[in-house]
Amino acid sequence: MISLLQSNNASDLKDQLGNLSEDVWMLAPEISVVIALLLLLGFDLLFKKNKEIGLASIAFCGLASTFVILTFQWTNFSTDLMIMGNLLRYDQLSVFLKLIFSLGGALGLIIAARNGEKNNLFQTGESLVILFGLFLGVFLMTMATNLLMIYLSIEVVSICSYMLTGILKGKRKAEAALKYLLFGAVSSAVMLYGISWLYGFTGTLDVTSQAFISGLSEVSVLPLTIALIMTIGGIIFKLGAVPFHIWSPDVYQAAPTAIVSIFSTLPKLAALTLLFRVINVLPAGLFDWQLILGVVAIASMIFGNFSALWQKDAKRMLAYSSIAHAGFLLVGLVAYTEAGNTSMLFYGAMYLVMNVGAFLLIAILERRTGSAAFDDMRGLGMKMPFLGILVVIVMIALTGLPPTVGFNAKLYVFSAIWEAYQVQNNSILLWVFILGLLNTVVALFYYLKLPYYLFFKTGEKTVLEKSSIPDHIWGTIMVLPLLIWFFQSEWLMNVLNSINFVF
Amino acid sequence: MTEHLLSYIIFIPLLASLVVALLPKRLADSYRLIAIVALGLSLVLSVVGVSLFDSDVTGLTNSEASLQMIEKVEWFSINLGSLGRFSVDYFLGVDGLNVSMLLLAAIVLFIGAISSWNIKNKRKGYFSLYLLLSSSVLGCFVALDFFLFYLFFEFMLLPMYFLIGIWGGPRKEYAAIKFFLYTLVGSILILIVMIGLYNSVYDPIKTGAEAGIFESISSATSDQISEVQTQVKLGNVSSENIVKSFNMISMANEDNYLPDSFLSKSSAAQVFGQSARWMAFLALLIGFAIKLPAFPFHTWLPDAHVEAPTPISVVLAGILLKIGGYGMIRTAFSFFPDSAYHYSWLIGFFGMFSIIYGALNALAQKDIKKLIAYSSVSHMGFVLLGLAALTVEGVSGAIYQMFSHGLISATLFLVAGVLYDRTQNRLIENYGGLAHQLPKYTVVVSIAFFASLGLPGFSGFIGELMVFLGAFKSASFIGAIPMWMPVVATLGLVLSAGYYLWTLQRMFFGKYWVKDAARHDNLKDLTLREYLMFVPLIAMIIWFGIFPGTLLDLISNSVEGFTQLMVQAVK
Repeated sequence: MISLLQSNNASDLKDQLGNLSEDVWMLAPEISVVIALLLLLGFDLLFKKNKEIGLASIAFCGLASTFVILTFQWTNFSTDLMIMGNLLRYDQLSVFLKLIFSLGGALGLIIAARNGEKNNLFQTGESLVILFGLFLGVFLMTMATNLLMIYLSIEVVSICSYMLTGILKGKRKAEAALKYLLFGAVSSAVMLYGISWLYGFTGTLDVTSQAFISGLSEVSVLPLTIALIMTIGGIIFKLGAVPFHIWSPDVYQAAPTAIVSIFSTLPKLAALTLLFRVINVLPAGLFDWQLILGVVAIASMIFGNFSALWQKDAKRMLAYSSIAHAGFLLVGLVAYTEAGNTSMLFYGAMYLVMNVGAFLLIAILERRTGSAAFDDMRGLGMKMPFLGILVVIVMIALTGLPPTVGFNAKLYVFSAIWEAYQVQNNSILLWVFILGLLNTVVALFYYLKLPYYLFFKTGEKTVLEKSSIPDHIWGTIMVLPLLIWFFQSEWLMNVLNSINFVF
Repeated sequence: MTEHLLSYIIFIPLLASLVVALLPKRLADSYRLIAIVALGLSLVLSVVGVSLFDSDVTGLTNSEASLQMIEKVEWFSINLGSLGRFSVDYFLGVDGLNVSMLLLAAIVLFIGAISSWNIKNKRKGYFSLYLLLSSSVLGCFVALDFFLFYLFFEFMLLPMYFLIGIWGGPRKEYAAIKFFLYTLVGSILILIVMIGLYNSVYDPIKTGAEAGIFESISSATSDQISEVQTQVKLGNVSSENIVKSFNMISMANEDNYLPDSFLSKSSAAQVFGQSARWMAFLALLIGFAIKLPAFPFHTWLPDAHVEAPTPISVVLAGILLKIGGYGMIRTAFSFFPDSAYHYSWLIGFFGMFSIIYGALNALAQKDIKKLIAYSSVSHMGFVLLGLAALTVEGVSGAIYQMFSHGLISATLFLVAGVLYDRTQNRLIENYGGLAHQLPKYTVVVSIAFFASLGLPGFSGFIGELMVFLGAFKSASFIGAIPMWMPVVATLGLVLSAGYYLWTLQRMFFGKYWVKDAARHDNLKDLTLREYLMFVPLIAMIIWFGIFPGTLLDLISNSVEGFTQLMVQAVK
């Protein structure tokens, strides 16, 4: 709306409304998500009992139709467009991300279904409705190019996240939700303040416009740096990177596993996209963002990995690991080359698969032990060797060792940063390269903890439930690609190479 | 059959591993048979490979013409847009540098499978992991694409971790994680250099085809290849047409480096105030020195050896350590010969130090397995010393020493395993005069000890002798290491004679005595299965001690080519 108001010519209003209705096709995936959300809401109100199957089918159908629409958009993609009066950008990057988001969302729902009765999302409609709100938010995040839209989409995601954390009863959940809300509110405020500075400098909120870029060039370095750091800080909060990471361990431990699998992937990748879009429009040489993001990346990797070492709970450990992975995701961005962008997306997509796979397996184990604490998982691997092996493969993939695709992902991002270092000769890139790779050793230590407890320890605890065939099937579906893509990472890279990153 | 020989050698154990994993539990007795048959097949094929190996092929080790039994298929290639693309090949081959290692690996893995016969618990997991490990070890020695090499190199860690951690001794968890973390630090250093290298090296054949200098990959002649190299050097090939490569043979040829890349020979690039090439060499060196292991990166070894079950100790000492030495020869020294010359004094010093330090530590051990572990550190020091000499004798000696140590240390760990099987106790002080109770065993132990301390007539002597010849010659020939290093290192020979003879005297001679009398009944002499392992090993140790030519003929031409690379770089 801002851009509508900015246009002084009132007679254009009709034209603009006409343009908006033409843009609706581009927003079809979002509309599909909203329709699913409304259906869920209506169904929840109309039926009182036995809602599970109905809610589940609406949710899955909603995501499936979104996925179909996105596939159609991907195959018929012609050209990048600014839509909705320059609020959003419709390009291959956003379509690709939304595609993997709808897949990730569906996998999250599957985790919810496999996690058993206790934390079942499908019993009541509220949490599903909020979850779809979150999907809408991350979809918008991938497209936002206007500071206001960036703020709004982040807020949609944040508010849904606060509610999802606290929606199920329990003291720990309330604490985590409150913590999340407080940190989130502060970082939103800081970000909004930063945005207001940027608006003051340039007189526009549209980051792609010429006025924004030329406006920034006229500001002196110090205020510009402050404003940008504040703005980027809000995005980094959603990315879960140091120093805006403190909320994640509590939230991850408290929230239902299915929800965490979504928290740890979708908003992170969406935030990365936002960061990418903001950075890309900054005129070169104005502001040494490579240094700042490089430091953030190194700090996230080191802090995330070292903190994860001491954890006694699988979900909490994965929370710290996701902080470290936020650092690895930033590596590709810091390289700031074509190869860097592609490898960042590759890493992001693989991170989504690995992490969702890890949470699925933890959800399955959790159902048998009643908790995700390492102590309760002693000796489980010997009782359920197949699931145990799947856990080992996922953990090796998260560490980034061959023969899993986690290795390819690491190889590509670090190749990109080395390549960038050769050209740009910026020493922060070398530090990111070396410290990032050495962090793998630390990461290995805690990723092996789960296999260690599963196989090396012997447990007295009785297993609540025998392993079931559907668990094996879902586990295999999630884990097998990690091995296959190691041998055939070509096709995804070729898909990513076809994405045009240029603005 | 012969054209895919190397692939068969690698993939038969892998296939067997899957078979073991899929067979139902009631067929558990067949697992060990499957393992022995699969590794036996690999051994037979390796022997076939060695007998087909043409020892007359000469040439520098940086050209594919010096390779035999080549298998090369493009695995995948990824487009990097304006940066060209990079391609990874499934590239196997043997030359004199790795053919002996392949044979050694096949022998030791087969012996290890026999010695796994008595594994009682969780047999399915054990044998499928063991076969998986075997497959990656064999693959590591013949892979000539850095990506493929790294895949095998890393992949052996995971099975090893579980084999030590589940079937090991009392402190198995600690030993397993320590082994994994130490080796991973090394792997990461290697990975760092690998990333730098493949971004610096291009494949002239594929680049030529891409840039249209010649029609297709198969039609390229050597003139055309040097044409491509000249064009790239002049900057006439646009960067979109450059095909970066992981080919380890190409990486050893400085003509294949992109002119503006950090790791090319003419590059003045600095990393942390040092030449980028020097730093890359050091990273590779340390990466493989951890695996070797050389002082001060050896501390994982005694723990891993002591805690691992006998067959795994055998494999660990017999071949896994050799990957460290082989990796140095194939990567660090071949890629950066100028840096190798620059740092040869350092390598020689640490080699010499490891010899003395390992021997002194062995002298102080109370546990016989730990004693053998430290003697490995000492003997691997000879490998470093020989390599640092940069002479034909030194490098041949290093390879010969690796081969002979593979056989001898396998025997030594089996010897320790025999005792442990019977009494569950490995402390030297708990035994005395075993020769009376176990005469046959004593004979085997004495042979193994004498072979290990370098008595003439055994293979260990040849390796050490050649290392010393090379090391003494080095100062006058190429000037890589000073004369005093081998002089000091000879002290190691005296020390190793000391700890072996002393142990022999304490445990086997004198009055028969066992600390725990209850163990006495279990002390029976060697069984048939044990003979099956010891007799061939000892026969080979003696054979290669008396007829060193069997092995030296295989390796000499390639070693010649390898040292020529060094000499060229120094000039």
